Amino acid sequence: MEEKEWATQELKRLFEKSQDYKQKALLQAAVTLLDEQETRKEQLQGQLDGTLWSPGNWKS
Amino acid sequence: MLKTLVIVSHPTVEESGSQQFLIQSITSPPLEQVTLHVIEQAYPDGQIDVKKEQQLLKDHDRILFQFPFYWYSSPPLLKQWQDEVLTEHFAFGYRGNKLKGKEFGLILSVGIAEKEYQSGGQEGYSMSELTKPYQALARKTQMTYLKPLVIYQFAYLSEQAKMEVLVKYQQYLTLAKPDSLKSREEWIKKELNAIDYETLPVENASFVIEQVIELLEDNRMELDELRMHIDNFHD
Repeated sequence: MEEKEWATQELKRLFEKSQDYKQKALLQAAVTLLDEQETRKEQLQGQLDGTLWSPGNWKS
Repeated sequence: MLKTLVIVSHPTVEESGSQQFLIQSITSPPLEQVTLHVIEQAYPDGQIDVKKEQQLLKDHDRILFQFPFYWYSSPPLLKQWQDEVLTEHFAFGYRGNKLKGKEFGLILSVGIAEKEYQSGGQEGYSMSELTKPYQALARKTQMTYLKPLVIYQFAYLSEQAKMEVLVKYQQYLTLAKPDSLKSREEWIKKELNAIDYETLPVENASFVIEQVIELLEDNRMELDELRMHIDNFHD
C-alpha cells in the first residue's frame, strides 16, 4: 500500500511537469490503473474469504 | 498484429473539436496498426470508389465507424458508403463472406447526456436499442460486434475526463480485449516503456517509471494468485 501511495504521488508529480498532452493522459491513466488493480485485489480477496467460509466448501 | 480501420464520417470534420481531438491522438505520431479514413475528405464529390473501399475492408481485422450521432444515425455519406460498399456477394449473400470473422465497432460522439438514454430519460431509449441497425449489419456480415465507445457531451468534459477518453480511444483501436484489466495493464506498461523523456524534464523520471511498471507487475502476480486460489476451491 505504501508503495502504491508513493507511486501515485510520483506519477502526479510527473504529470505536473510533463510538457506533452498525450503523455499526461498516460500518466493519469497509470494512476487510475493502480487504483483499479487495488480494487480488484480487494474484490478477489473478499471473494476468497467468502469461499473459505461457505459451508458448501467444507468438504472433508 | 491487429489491424484497425477507422472510418470517420463528419460533414465538417476540421471544425469538430471532438473529432480533431480523437484524430490527433492517433496521427501524431501515427499508429502503424491503425488506418484513419475520413470519407468526406476522401470523396468530397460523393463518388465513392467501391473497389478501393472493399479492399480496405479486406486488409483490416477491426472495422470501426466513427461519427457524430445525428438523429439516431450517421451523417449521410456514411449511409451512402454502407449502401454502395457493403454489397451482396461481398458482405453477405452467396459467397459474400469477405467480412466474416472481423470485428465491428462504433465510436460515437453524442450531444446529450448519457443518463437521458434509457427508458424514462429524455431520449427514452438506450444506446443499445438505438444502435440496432449497426448490430444487425455486423450480424448479417458475420462480424463480431464490439461494445461501442460512446463519448457524451465532449465539450462539457473536464480536462481529466478528456484525457480518459483519449486513453480509452487508443485502447479501443488497438487492444485485442479493450475491456480487460490485464490487457489494459499491458498497454500502459508498453506505453510507459516507450515514454519520451524529452517532454518529461524531471531528474528521476525514468526511475519512477521503472518502479511503477514493477508495481503494476507485482499487482498482476498477486491478482493471478488470488484468482488461482479461488478457482482451486471450485474444482
